[in-house]
Amino acid sequence: MKQIDLIKRATEIKKGGEKAALATIIKTRGSTPRKTGSRMIIFPCGKIEGTIGGGCGEAEVIETAFKVIQTNKPEKQTVDLTRGLFYEDGGICGGIMDVFIEPLS
Amino acid sequence: MMSQTMYKKLSQSLQLRQETVLVTITECLEHRLIGKKILLWPSKSAFDEGEIPLSLMESINLYSQPLLKKKRSGVFQFSWKGNQVECFAEYFPAPVHLIVAGAGHVGEPVASIGKMLGFYVTVIDDRPDYANLERFPIADEVICESFMHYFRDVPLTDHTYILLLTRGHKYDVLSLQELLRRKEKAAYIGMIGSRRRISGVFEQVKQEFPDETFDHIYTPVGLDIGAETPSEIAVSIMAEILKIKNGASGNSLSSKIRRYAKMGFHEGAVK
Repeated sequence: MKQIDLIKRATEIKKGGEKAALATIIKTRGSTPRKTGSRMIIFPCGKIEGTIGGGCGEAEVIETAFKVIQTNKPEKQTVDLTRGLFYEDGGICGGIMDVFIEPLS
Repeated sequence: MMSQTMYKKLSQSLQLRQETVLVTITECLEHRLIGKKILLWPSKSAFDEGEIPLSLMESINLYSQPLLKKKRSGVFQFSWKGNQVECFAEYFPAPVHLIVAGAGHVGEPVASIGKMLGFYVTVIDDRPDYANLERFPIADEVICESFMHYFRDVPLTDHTYILLLTRGHKYDVLSLQELLRRKEKAAYIGMIGSRRRISGVFEQVKQEFPDETFDHIYTPVGLDIGAETPSEIAVSIMAEILKIKNGASGNSLSSKIRRYAKMGFHEGAVK
């Protein structure tokens, strides 16, 4: 998928008046599943489009995105993928990423 | 989140093959500014939606330019009115331009594969029956114009890849001469044709352009994979273009391993 595609999709959603949030990876340290500029759109029902890497890290971002949709205020979140290192449920990348989450309204 | 207007501005700018930076304010004491966006270009021109104070715009422009030069995305912080501001600058490269001169049998699969590989594809031919969007629905641009006229003015950069695949060799040669007269150089010019015909052309062209190195001219075009049909030729051509673009050897990846395999995979044994 091209870098610009999810931005286009986000502007369409915004125009349609549907509530949703857009998450963008703005900074990474160490090894992360996806790189800076990766995006994901989150809907209040939990549906997502695009991915910022899946797993627990993504789940944390989805949680914050629900809050962003409710409050209509952008938030920045640091996702630490080093903690899950010894668990089996993903998070084995071992990096940290900053994600900016903004409402689509 | 950006407006439709700003999105259009960004996509148009990339269509025009201008590299662009999209800046988002991610931290700021004035909360209403968080999430606001600005588009910036190497010319230092900027576009925003009129919500960002001028002094802040100027700082953002200043701090974004080094990232633009390095062709990288990144986060930067600076102080504005005594408070820290953080921005995320996302770099959008100008798409690589593939110009397919000649809308014939080979031009068709070349345009399709080029598009598949993410090139900005322009098809040019002087015949309206061939140069049209019905034949090339996937192309970004289909131009019906004389080849020479087109190549006289088309922007050429180190992101421009040109294929001369016209119906008659003379059009290829005339286009090539037009391109060689230009001050700017394309990254790649490929010209179709048999070895015999081409050697004649080279003799002729060399007389007119004695200083030309011909480093960026590839003819006969394509990698040697025994291509026969238009589709096979298209693969051979696009493989060569990727090879040049990515600065790779074009050899089979397995060829190195085979050498090691003979030595029982002991890399240390290589002398």
